Amino acid sequence: MQYRCSVCGYVYDEDKEGVPFTELPDTWQCPWCSAPKSSFELVEDIKAEDHPTPASSTEPAQHTEAVHHDMQKLSVGQMAALCSNLARGCEKQYMPQEQALFNELADWFTKSTPQVEDATVEAIAKQLQQDLNDYKTVDQISKDNKDRGAQRVCVWGEKVTRMLSVLVERYQKEGDAMLQDTDIWVCSICGFVFIGKEAPELCPVCKVPAWKFNKIDRRK
Amino acid sequence: MEKTVYAVRNLRLCTKDCLCLYVCPTGATDTENSIIDVEKCIGCGACADACPSKAISLMPIELPLPQEKTKAVVGTLNDMITSKSYVEQSARQIAETTESETLNLLMKAVSQSSRIIAEDLNREAGFMLPQSENTQKVLEELVANPPSTDFPTETAKKLLTTIKFQSNSNNNN
Repeated sequence: MQYRCSVCGYVYDEDKEGVPFTELPDTWQCPWCSAPKSSFELVEDIKAEDHPTPASSTEPAQHTEAVHHDMQKLSVGQMAALCSNLARGCEKQYMPQEQALFNELADWFTKSTPQVEDATVEAIAKQLQQDLNDYKTVDQISKDNKDRGAQRVCVWGEKVTRMLSVLVERYQKEGDAMLQDTDIWVCSICGFVFIGKEAPELCPVCKVPAWKFNKIDRRK
Repeated sequence: MEKTVYAVRNLRLCTKDCLCLYVCPTGATDTENSIIDVEKCIGCGACADACPSKAISLMPIELPLPQEKTKAVVGTLNDMITSKSYVEQSARQIAETTESETLNLLMKAVSQSSRIIAEDLNREAGFMLPQSENTQKVLEELVANPPSTDFPTETAKKLLTTIKFQSNSNNNN
């Protein structure tokens, strides 16, 4: 039987490995992305799931109503990410002056974001679980609207959120021992978080090379 | 002939074979900071063809309009952005106040990761391009109604004057 990592897609093939998946120790980790054993799922019916039924000819045309931005709905925290995203868009197009200006706005919104009253590891763990659940809805709406870009952002976002959830839970169990003698890295493209001495050669989620990873600096 | 594209060099890929210097008819590729001079570039593409490292791309001056987004998709993506923003801010606060070195590192990573996810969600929610009409509207709104007295309104104004915005009405055919 085969088991697939729900974070990066690595397949553990029992026939090739010679050890049944269930007999692996609980401390066993995905060789690609270090996700725990619990994030693996049995490969069955995956073929059926991976090939959605062809788009029906009765697609609702009313869904194509274009929407323009209504700023009233965006919070200060959301504006921060909006502006830093546009700064990246300028960077890619070699517009360094505009990049700096958007980053100025992003920094202002970041520092003006209201404090969260109950900022705890538990609250974060709970929110990440909620997000994993909500991604199913976002993905379904994206599919219904035939928006493949939005489906893509769901695929990456869900995987990265699953990894964040796994790491926060690990911290809750292991505490400070978790990052002893190792470093922690963030993929600058999809946000995937990796624990190790070196960044992975390829990001397990979005497949960019190691140099696209940021190492998180220790204090002082 | 009117210039429709301009050349840009990816410094990460450039191996300094310098064939672009030999073939550029205007000297646009020969600069002290290695960034191709947009003013001098006539968009002929000779440098991109000659480059053995494929480090030069030709970018259109007028970008196509972004893909239209439906209300339903934008709405659901915005909900997810709200949640990512909450996690980003919570993790930042924990990182700042915790005594634990490990928790500080982990929370900085969670905060940074949540921001990157939120940026990506924004891209799919109608903010892919800095030149888009959506971006222009946000900036205009910020200038007209600054969110607070210490908001850097001049920065938003400057962006409105330097970016060449697309117009949905002019560009549609």
